[in-house]
Amino acid sequence: MVAKVAQIILSPILALVIGVFFLSLARKIMARFHWRYGPPLVQPVIDIIRLFYQKSVSHGQMFDLGLILSLAGSIVVVLFLPFGPICPLSGSGGLLVILYITLLAPLGMALSGGQGDNPNISIGISRKLILGLGYEVPLLLVLLAVMTRYKTISIMEVVSAQQRTGWSLTSLPLLLSGLSYLLILPAILGIRPFDVSSAPQEISSGPMVEYGGKYLALAKIEHAFALFINIALFVNLFLGGAANPLIFFVKMLVVFVLGLCINAVFPRFRIEQAIKYLWKWPALLAFLGLIVTLATRG
Amino acid sequence: MSLEILLIIAFGGAFLTYLLGKVSSRARDSFAVAVSLGLVAFVAFLYGKPLEKTFYFGFLDLDLVLRLNMLSWFFAITIASVGALSIIFSLSYIKAREKTDFYYLMMLLVNAAMLGIVLAGDLLSFYIFWEIMSWSAFLLISYNRGPALAAGMKYIVMSIIGSVCFLVGMLSLYVSFDTLNISQIAPAIASASHGYVLFILIAFGIAFGIKNAVLPFHTWLPDAHSEAPSPFSAVLSGILVRMGMYGFLLIFYVILGLKAFLALGQGLYSFHYILAWIGAINIVIPTFIAMLQNDSKRLLAWHGVGQGGYMVLGVALGTKLGVAGGTFHIVNHTSYIALLFLVVGAIEYRTGGVRDLNSLGGLAKRMPITFIGALVGACGLIGVPLTNGFVSKWLIYKSLILEGHPFLAFAALIGTWGTILSLFKFLHNIFLGQLPEKYKDIKKAPFSMQLPIVVLSLVILVFGILPGIPLKVINTIGTSFGFESLNVTLWGITSETGTLNTINIFFAVLGAGLVVWLLFRFAAKSVSVPQEDSYAAGARTPADKYHYTVEFYNPLHRMIRPFLRDVIDEFYYQIASWVRAFAQGMRRIYSGDVGYYVMYIMLFLAGLIFVQMRWEIW
Amino acid sequence: MDRNQIAKWLEAPAKMANKYSLHAIYFCTGCGIIEVPPVITARWDAERFGVIPVATPRQANLFLITGYVSVKTLRPIIRTYEQMHEPKYTVGFGSCPVNGGMYWDSYNTIKHLDKYIPIDGWIAGCMPRPEAIFIAVTHLWTLIDKDMAEGYVRYRKSYRAYRRNQEMALGKLDWPPLYPVSDEPRGDEQ
Repeated sequence: MVAKVAQIILSPILALVIGVFFLSLARKIMARFHWRYGPPLVQPVIDIIRLFYQKSVSHGQMFDLGLILSLAGSIVVVLFLPFGPICPLSGSGGLLVILYITLLAPLGMALSGGQGDNPNISIGISRKLILGLGYEVPLLLVLLAVMTRYKTISIMEVVSAQQRTGWSLTSLPLLLSGLSYLLILPAILGIRPFDVSSAPQEISSGPMVEYGGKYLALAKIEHAFALFINIALFVNLFLGGAANPLIFFVKMLVVFVLGLCINAVFPRFRIEQAIKYLWKWPALLAFLGLIVTLATRG
Repeated sequence: MSLEILLIIAFGGAFLTYLLGKVSSRARDSFAVAVSLGLVAFVAFLYGKPLEKTFYFGFLDLDLVLRLNMLSWFFAITIASVGALSIIFSLSYIKAREKTDFYYLMMLLVNAAMLGIVLAGDLLSFYIFWEIMSWSAFLLISYNRGPALAAGMKYIVMSIIGSVCFLVGMLSLYVSFDTLNISQIAPAIASASHGYVLFILIAFGIAFGIKNAVLPFHTWLPDAHSEAPSPFSAVLSGILVRMGMYGFLLIFYVILGLKAFLALGQGLYSFHYILAWIGAINIVIPTFIAMLQNDSKRLLAWHGVGQGGYMVLGVALGTKLGVAGGTFHIVNHTSYIALLFLVVGAIEYRTGGVRDLNSLGGLAKRMPITFIGALVGACGLIGVPLTNGFVSKWLIYKSLILEGHPFLAFAALIGTWGTILSLFKFLHNIFLGQLPEKYKDIKKAPFSMQLPIVVLSLVILVFGILPGIPLKVINTIGTSFGFESLNVTLWGITSETGTLNTINIFFAVLGAGLVVWLLFRFAAKSVSVPQEDSYAAGARTPADKYHYTVEFYNPLHRMIRPFLRDVIDEFYYQIASWVRAFAQGMRRIYSGDVGYYVMYIMLFLAGLIFVQMRWEIW
Repeated sequence: MDRNQIAKWLEAPAKMANKYSLHAIYFCTGCGIIEVPPVITARWDAERFGVIPVATPRQANLFLITGYVSVKTLRPIIRTYEQMHEPKYTVGFGSCPVNGGMYWDSYNTIKHLDKYIPIDGWIAGCMPRPEAIFIAVTHLWTLIDKDMAEGYVRYRKSYRAYRRNQEMALGKLDWPPLYPVSDEPRGDEQ
């Protein structure tokens, strides 16, 4: 019981620390790609502290509550996601519940931004939702392949099955699905070439155009959580999870640096180009992966 | 306390309301509300009492049977509740229109007829009540005149075709088994041949499919739901359409039985698997067509078609989780689609009949309770955790994944994303964004409209956080069909292949929300700014133009619009135009010229003489 | 830089955080904006000072007025400055905001920007080199440390004077006053 409570409190804090570390790592590594020095590793922390001390404007009750709902949703997803051996609420519905609770975060941002009285916000949210539909088509096929192969909807069981039989990414039935997941990971994380929904130059930061002060700080924290959640999900399902949190973290780091390399090289897709890409090769690979999984099921 | 008294109160109340309306409108209003609430209380009182009563009126030598089992009670309480809430909503909505007595008569009559359908124990009384429901619905759909007349005509033509198929099936059953009593047909049909069973299923399937708006019989639904008055749209989309689902449950599980249903055909060509695929296609295509709509009621109507796919999918699977999920989805869908139609009705009432999504905006500032109702309804329709939609969808998905149907699961899951997109467009274009000048002084919805909205929102949330309450009833229904019992607790379902625990999710969200709110509170204060003080690159925000609604998903529309034409609707209109062309051609015979008529008679006589001379028939 | 001195952080975290996280709004006023892209890209890397450009005034706390200010541009400058959140710092960049610079005798430019919005520091030059911008940033840090970069406080205290100057230059202003100019109480403050 005490261990459970400790896990419930520890898990979001750990996710926050790792997420903010990923944010700082992103800026530093991107800078090094550009042959410059880049900010110190604590820069996102300095930004968030400054934002909490800054005043802000609010456009109404929904503006505040939507953002609170969004961040609360991210924290709840973290509670349901195994991180090494830490998983407080694993026995409450599994992968399906996670798929649906991850809807709370963009929903909260969308509602909050909707009260922002700014068409840039609406354009950003419409693009975010269209991009969400875009990557969900291959993502659902991939997740269904995983669930069909391991005959379970619980992530902990997928992780323990991989401890026995090896990584999903290198197992023959799930190889295509894993490749497809790797191809759509930039879209899920919202990094280039898929950062169209918050394009600073084009739609003035999209949903974050009216966020200042504590709102922007919470949005940045939510971004950190989103990075953690999506990479942790991939590591759990395809790279075997880990019994040791340190090894888990190393795996997440490798995946994240891979994503950063793509972020550094590519420009931004338009939303139609993004959808055309997501529904072409990754969807085809995921579809074939699902067929292969069905065919090789016992 | 028996069933015929329930029906007498229901029908008698309808006619008495009409007569009272001729005397005084206030008395009629209170009486209508009293009758509908009384029916709810009555049905609630009958919980758990299996009743059966046989009547013999000497009509065609047939017994008419009324019976109440758990399935009937489940539907009856839903019918009575939605009916009562719609009548309460109509108190303000209909007040300023003409023919309000007629409206109340028809609403109560539809209510009573639907109660009769679920209480019917033999097919003849089922058919009688089905017909009463169909034409009273037709009269209500056409209530608004104008384009509603065409919508009503489309509905009644398709409904009559369905009723004729029902009649064919019913007559065939009578000829084969010499009885129309459902409990007597059930054991008899188990021994019939597969071909005959398939014929019966198709005959009844067409009838119930037309009513339930299963593709390809769905084309009447978008027009009918958008043109009907909003409280009746809530009833229509909420429960009247699901009478088709009641029919499906009756024919598949009560009459045919589980084993026979699953044994029809084998492997990929089994009847229930093809039906599951029809359900899956029924989820995907309508929810994406809903995204393209610009009329708020049409958008919701297409969702009515789409969510029916979930129910058909769940029921056709034939597993305990699937049927539980499909049946639970019926009452869930009732709650949120009725809520959303009532919300649209409140908006129509306050803005003077505006349904166009491109011209509204920002109304959350002026109508907060309506907005919260719409938000809860939208979350329920999407299936956000802590709403009842999530529980029923979870059951269906789990059943699909564990039985090894990942492509059906994919269709069901992608439908959710279509729902998210279209409902966000609905919420955003009506409630969020910039408030137009002409709606700056709009008042809140009146109390009689807020009450049903709040009640339905509470139902959605309570059934989502404590799903054990309705799941207990559904478990009883499932065991009566022959499935083994689900392990249902107050807040979820436990099983060896994964549990659902909604109270955990609820407390997690509450706890996380509290932590974030505290963090929010103790940061620097924020200042409230008016709508005009928004970022516009240093310029003044243009009044009435700083709002993005038209073509909300334009990039996606351009890509998928060619694939989402309603070709079935065009096909039916093509058939209708061929019939009209044929009839136009036949009309030419009556040319009005007596000489032609004499020629026809001469030719016919000549033909008869030729036949007699050649083949000597007479 | 005293960015990693924990004692100073614990003593005055707001000041330290405001110093090392200056987000500049990407507002292209005049010819000076041509000097900003080299500053924020790889050759002269401003991000190591904590300075990055952001797209909207709501997210910014540094306003660089990079060049001459015509009367037409003064409106967006004032609107943008008022939409920024406190604490905020403005820096006049180039000779033109200081005293008119090259356009000292033009009918169409503003000669002394300090009369219309408060300026915390000036960078002389036409155009200043990127190194001058970095020196200005470090100067701004010193001012923030000594509580001397109080332009926004000045704006709040003397808003009536600033608004009168703005009305004299621009005619009727079509935005309401940011702070109350009469004795009426202000709108709701959470």
